[in-house]
Amino acid sequence: MKRWSLLPAVLLLGACGNSESGTSAEALEELSWEEITAEAEGSEVRMYMWGGDEGVNAYMDDVIAPAVEEEYGIDFERIPMDAPEFLSRLMTEREAGSTDGSADILWINGENFRNAKENDLLYGSFADMLPNMEEHVADAPFVENDMGIDVDGMEVPWGNVQYAFQFRGEDNPPETMEELLAWAEENPGAFTYPDVQNDTGNGFVRHVIHYVAGDPETVSEFDEAWIEENGGDVWDVLRTLAPSLWREGETYPNSLEQQDQMFADGEVQATLGFNEYRAQSLIDQGVFPEETETVGLSSGSISSTHYVSMPFNTGNPEAALVVINHLLSPEAQIEKLNPERWGEGHILDPETLSEEQREQVEAYVGEEIVPAEDALPELDARYVDWIQENWEEEVVQP
Amino acid sequence: MRKLLLLLLLAIFVFPVLFLFLKSITFSWRYPDVLPTAFSMRAWEALASEPQLLPAVGMTLFIGAVVVVLNLLLGIPAALALSWVDFRGKVAVETIFFLPILVPVLAIAMGLHITMIRLGIADHPAGVILIHLLPTLPYTIRVLRGGFDRLDPAWMQLGETLGAGVFRRIATIAVPIMAPSLRSAAVLTFVISLSQYVLTAIIGGGRVTTLPLLYYPFFNSADQAVIAAFSVLFAVLPLLFLFVWETVSSAAGRLLRP
Repeated sequence: MKRWSLLPAVLLLGACGNSESGTSAEALEELSWEEITAEAEGSEVRMYMWGGDEGVNAYMDDVIAPAVEEEYGIDFERIPMDAPEFLSRLMTEREAGSTDGSADILWINGENFRNAKENDLLYGSFADMLPNMEEHVADAPFVENDMGIDVDGMEVPWGNVQYAFQFRGEDNPPETMEELLAWAEENPGAFTYPDVQNDTGNGFVRHVIHYVAGDPETVSEFDEAWIEENGGDVWDVLRTLAPSLWREGETYPNSLEQQDQMFADGEVQATLGFNEYRAQSLIDQGVFPEETETVGLSSGSISSTHYVSMPFNTGNPEAALVVINHLLSPEAQIEKLNPERWGEGHILDPETLSEEQREQVEAYVGEEIVPAEDALPELDARYVDWIQENWEEEVVQP
Repeated sequence: MRKLLLLLLLAIFVFPVLFLFLKSITFSWRYPDVLPTAFSMRAWEALASEPQLLPAVGMTLFIGAVVVVLNLLLGIPAALALSWVDFRGKVAVETIFFLPILVPVLAIAMGLHITMIRLGIADHPAGVILIHLLPTLPYTIRVLRGGFDRLDPAWMQLGETLGAGVFRRIATIAVPIMAPSLRSAAVLTFVISLSQYVLTAIIGGGRVTTLPLLYYPFFNSADQAVIAAFSVLFAVLPLLFLFVWETVSSAAGRLLRP
């Protein structure tokens, strides 16, 4: 029996009491912002977020954490975890009725947001409680709509990025989708895109949908009849492109990082992806070559927004709100532009910024890669599903 | 012949680690350059600036060590019984002991997560330690069973007839014969525990931060230097464990032998 005697001891170790759950969204709405800030002081806030980029990590650890500590006395901790993993955890916690969750803030968007919303894993509507939401965040469509999903105030935009292409030592890089397709044909083996199960590869096909549609209005909502009629054209474009791709399009990189590494090694001459500023830090790190040229297509570049939200079982909703509000503040958003750390687009309304703040934005952003008029709206998440379901059959093994 | 074998072993096991180390201290080392052109400590600085790194290494070592101890405490009696005792349903028991390896652990982990939330040990090192027993204990029992198979009970009886007490019989007969099996089981357990990502993430909820939780997300980036630096650190931990094990066991050996 001796071998069992240790187990209860281990179990006891963990039997620390559960504290009561946090204030509900309805109750919070009764409070003023001052009361919420006062309540938040001295709490701990944990945020689930993907942790695979030292720039992003450095921004959270060196900019956000010290700022909320100093201003609000909040102890902020970043927990590196991918969205599918934390969602499955939240699902189990909901099933088990756990009221004191492991995290207070989630980094989320699109499909994952829909999953979370449909499964009742989110805290509730909180966007209206945040002063910065009202004062500084741009009044743009992405505030209300995340890839065709109604936001309902259950998440707030945190950053906005454009899709862009990187070329290696190309004097005259293609600038429209038409030119890009021609360029790929002239340079066999130089271009490819990741598998569409990956968001970056899927994003490229979404650009082709925009290219086939011509007018963003036509595909602004998910339209089954349009797909029925024009889906074939989308696959035609990709099938025609395939023979001039890397390895004649018989295989595709599994992930963006694989394509980035092939680009770094000179195996392909182009890479692509969301965040038009992402190449700079990779060049500084010595991953990408100096002669990397970033191009946003003037025929249109999809702009994608990512959001922050709160899980249903946050133990400190007040403190989470205070931190989220800080993430949306001009200081935090402007520092996020700094390419030495993160370097990605803000979600601010420039009109609400002071002269000095606007100069700071300009100093960080420099030359605009994707002018606002070239930005295309993100497609409905159901297009993403449609691409994922059919691409393999239509393009890879026709 | 022996030298050749040694060289081969070096080429297979040591060279890759050295290569990783080189990769971690070079700047922009790309195809087709055969030798690195520039050096930089950037990757190691990135590692050092990670505030959770040291606590994570400490947590990884702590969990690994406790998992090894529990494995030995649970594994020795089980292996002993399987090896020395004949009882009805032995094959069934053996199969059950091996089951966690045959069934995908992830499938079990989801269910266990609910139980652990109810018990209050989710998000706690205790829960992570328990879940790490799942992929390790079957191997420990297998390895130790092989050890006990080599240790004939008759030798212990021989010691008894020569007048040696239980303690002395264990110290001078069982432990020396079992030493290689114990070491294999311990190192294997430690390495398996060290490399758990998904189980730790699900049960530990990110509150129990071990090294893989910091390290694996970087595979989603093109920054090979940082990945290489993490990998070198990762490769050092089992060596450290082996070193401690050898030191402790040789000290214990000197104490035990009369």
